Amino acid sequence: MFQGMNFAPAQLPGELEALRREVREFLNAETDWHPNSDFNAGASPEFSKRFAAKGWIGMTWPKAYGGGGRSFLERYVITEELLAAGAPVGCHWIADRQSGPLLLKFGTEAQKQAFLPGIISGESFYSIGMSEPDTGSDLASIRTSAVQVPGGWCLNGSKIWTSNAHLNHFMVTLVRTAPATDNRHEGMSQFIVPIHADGVTVRGIDNLAGEQDFNQIFFDDVFIPDDHVVGEPGNGWAQVMSELAYERSGPERFLSAFRVLAEFGKSLQNGATESQARLYGQLVAHLVVLRRMSISIASLLEEGLMPDTEAALIKDLGNSYERLVPEVVRLYLPGQVPKGLAQALEECVLHAPSFTLRGGTREILRGMIARGLGLR
Amino acid sequence: MNEEQQLIGEMARRMLTDHCSAEVIDRAEQGDFPDSLWTLLDDNGLTTLGVAESSGGAGGSFGDALVVLREAGRKAAPLPLAETLLAGLVLSQLGQRLPEGPVSLVQGSVTLTEAGQLQGVVEGVKFARYCKTFLVVAQRGDASMICQIPADAAVLTHSKDLAGEASDSVQVATTVQPEACFAINDAELDAMLVWGAAMRAVMMAGALEEALAATVGYSLERKQFGKAIAKFQAIQQQLAVFATQVAASTRAAETLMVQPEVASIDVAIAKARIGEAAGICAEIAHQVHGAIGYTRDHRLNHLTRRLWSWRDAFGHEAYWQERLGRSLLADETGDLWQQVTALG
Repeated sequence: MFQGMNFAPAQLPGELEALRREVREFLNAETDWHPNSDFNAGASPEFSKRFAAKGWIGMTWPKAYGGGGRSFLERYVITEELLAAGAPVGCHWIADRQSGPLLLKFGTEAQKQAFLPGIISGESFYSIGMSEPDTGSDLASIRTSAVQVPGGWCLNGSKIWTSNAHLNHFMVTLVRTAPATDNRHEGMSQFIVPIHADGVTVRGIDNLAGEQDFNQIFFDDVFIPDDHVVGEPGNGWAQVMSELAYERSGPERFLSAFRVLAEFGKSLQNGATESQARLYGQLVAHLVVLRRMSISIASLLEEGLMPDTEAALIKDLGNSYERLVPEVVRLYLPGQVPKGLAQALEECVLHAPSFTLRGGTREILRGMIARGLGLR
Repeated sequence: MNEEQQLIGEMARRMLTDHCSAEVIDRAEQGDFPDSLWTLLDDNGLTTLGVAESSGGAGGSFGDALVVLREAGRKAAPLPLAETLLAGLVLSQLGQRLPEGPVSLVQGSVTLTEAGQLQGVVEGVKFARYCKTFLVVAQRGDASMICQIPADAAVLTHSKDLAGEASDSVQVATTVQPEACFAINDAELDAMLVWGAAMRAVMMAGALEEALAATVGYSLERKQFGKAIAKFQAIQQQLAVFATQVAASTRAAETLMVQPEVASIDVAIAKARIGEAAGICAEIAHQVHGAIGYTRDHRLNHLTRRLWSWRDAFGHEAYWQERLGRSLLADETGDLWQQVTALG
């Protein structure tokens, strides 16, 4: 019988407000970027470097590796401030959220020493290497593979939809290292692939908005030394799955359209019709509840729990919300549409299709929720 | 929720699970008030929780009372719990004591003359026929007054609302003594609306949780095409959406339960958000249940008819959305993110 899910009320500790003010001051002083709350919409190596100088990349990681040793909730405050301000976080986002924690959990001591300091200093940027031309939601069907050679592995195949690969340095790549058996989840491994290694080719793909955002990457007899295998060969599937609760419950899953809402609010400051005020209230009500749910999950993660179903649920609800915002705001614009609002709206409409695809499609997430409900 | 609230919630749920069966709810709809259930809850202090002991209540916080009301919503309890609590809060605010038994507010177009003549008709007074006392909101010139009258001083015409709960027309034409009349200002009147909205919001949250559990359970039992309908992706995807709406509702409701003082902006958020969820979820619940859910024989209607009724009571979604939107826009800084983070 379904027993409910765990979204017990939790609040960010009051002492984090000082940190919040500090981030806001930092962001207010940054002016050389165009704001967009979609974490994937802007990437600036210079910004990431300045951000890293504040000690805010890898801030939850152990001090032994140069991390900040701070709490997951402190990181939450910083990430949501970045998104709300529309900062160009694309370069460091994946390394900070996913690749670094993965190495901390499964990497060897030597890997931690070798790779984490570059992430923390804002000099090494990472991509996710999961999807392939014939592999989307069915991740276990990957065909990129590697065979053992003296001292390492010989990698062949291709990954696709790799955000910012043209700016990044490494890709944590899921690879088949043993032929598929009846258990499709066996025989996969994760490699740290240097994107500039011999045999790696990056080909840009223009997204719908006309931006070079993602890429296809080709591996042609790329040599991967043994010390670039993350964790145990064959453990790749379990490692990939362990990243998901972090990936799915964060503020980037409901704040992508925030600039639209904020600009809409500003445009109504001098008077709103009943319909405009109502829509604004509706959208803010959704936002506040989503944020509270996300903070509840962040608190569970802080306690070391892995609420996968709840994380999938937030992502689905949050992504639906992100897609709703531009669809409805466009119908209730003020007579004179301020430039900032018009621009935010146009960008959001063009990016919106990606919200419910990236990081797990709506249909896959709902399947996970259904599993949590005991339906499958 | 704190430990005490957990215990209160468990106690209320146990009593209601044992004594508020589908038959009790159906009989209540036929006009048979569940006196013994009311007495059981009353004896355990659950009917006046949240009203100060000095005002004749059982003490505890408003949040504690909301914990009980969520359980009442979960079990579709056909009892004037919210109505009596609201009356208790109003009387407490006026420095008066809550009388024995169920009390309902009578709020509509009633006038009070200088001579103390109370006159008017108010439709849709919930559970009026079971009340011993009414609190009548009346206009005396430009001022609003609350007048406490014995229920038998009014003439009732019985009726039912969408939920099938008693919802009567109350006609008053009586003289009240000055000591039974109290001036009430606009802020106090608004507080009544906010309290009522908070109560209906958490009741909906309880009913939504129960409706989800019932619908999941039904989908696992009901077989078509040789297998449980839960095994079909089309059903799974619907129930996943249902679960997201319920999770949001629960979070919005529990925010109110843990607050030391209920904040009207959080009530606006909860009533707007949960009211929206109520419509979405009732639709999915019925779709998954199929024709059997569209009968009085099946108990799903106890929950869905209440959801449809409660979402309209004490301000529907559009009212609270607009009110929330206007209050946010009235802030001079115009910094939405600052407002959102300040809400916690």
